[in-house]
Amino acid sequence: MPQLVKVRPTKIELVKLKRRLSLAQRVQKIVKDRLSILTMEFLQTARDTAEAKKRLLDEFSKLYKALSIAAGYHGYMALEKELVSTEADLKIAAGARNVAGVRIPSLELMEHRRKMRGYSLTDTSSWVDRTAELAEESLRAIAELAELQRSFELLAAEINRTKRISNALEYIVIPGLQVTINYLNMKFEERDREEKARLKRVKVLVARG
Amino acid sequence: MPKSLQDEGAAAQTERSLYEAALQNCLAGELRIVNAGLPQSQQRLAHLLRQEHPHVLCNDGSTHVFKRRELEYLASMLGAEEQEALQLPMLIELGGGQAEAAVICQAGTEQRVVSQALGMSVACEQRRIRLYKPQLALLRRKLRTTTVYLFSSRLVA
Repeated sequence: MPQLVKVRPTKIELVKLKRRLSLAQRVQKIVKDRLSILTMEFLQTARDTAEAKKRLLDEFSKLYKALSIAAGYHGYMALEKELVSTEADLKIAAGARNVAGVRIPSLELMEHRRKMRGYSLTDTSSWVDRTAELAEESLRAIAELAELQRSFELLAAEINRTKRISNALEYIVIPGLQVTINYLNMKFEERDREEKARLKRVKVLVARG
Repeated sequence: MPKSLQDEGAAAQTERSLYEAALQNCLAGELRIVNAGLPQSQQRLAHLLRQEHPHVLCNDGSTHVFKRRELEYLASMLGAEEQEALQLPMLIELGGGQAEAAVICQAGTEQRVVSQALGMSVACEQRRIRLYKPQLALLRRKLRTTTVYLFSSRLVA
């Protein structure tokens, strides 16, 4: 049962209430649109996150296989000696984008495909090249998954918040305003009827006098 | 008027003004949030491709970053002249609880981009390309950073 808004029964309050109702209805439409867009984005992000997770696991699986073969071929000591010189700083372009009012992080691995990786090409085999290539792909997949996972969390939190606002508008604010407007309209009609009855009574008294 | 009634009236007035203020703040905040992330101005694709970190400034002072991969995808489907004509981010207009959205089409290049991204022909009427929600999901999947939502009060009103 919607509750009456506490207002003085005056015409000015009725006009104000009507304005508030109109604003609340407009906001409700926007909030509903936003909720539907956020839900669409959330579902898409959920699907993409699942795909990215699967891709990352596949990449890791391929990478460990290639690394095991390379280690077996060269021996751990020789491989470690070669890989010492391959350390490089990662460059990630980090920014944000806006999806229907939600700030979502955007991560992109820069220069992930290098021509020269730092190890000796004459002392190593193509297995090391393959391992390095797969490791770079894994890094790209990690950055992608990090972005999607965070987007997923942020969108979920925003959907919860927007849903609360939408429900409050739909079940409390708008019905409350409508009930109060109806109550005030009935009150004014009652006043008019009372006024008419009073005037009739006065007319009778004047006619008698 | 008796003093107790006066007190009751004043209390009701205070309660009402607090409630009204909170409601108005909440509603105004919602209206402010939805379009805060819109870009101050759009930039040409050719110009963005030349930038090291392609981005545009938003109305709320933040930046909207484009993914280079997406820009290169767009560049792959357009010629040099069209790259100069295409303004990014593309605006997707929503409003009025309708089942469809509209991509704002300024130069006609958007029509070609949307058509190629969706793999179907689309029509541009009154500078708007009308899209249904499933098409919108597909478009957003391919062009995440190069499209933004615009909640139009004109359509809502």
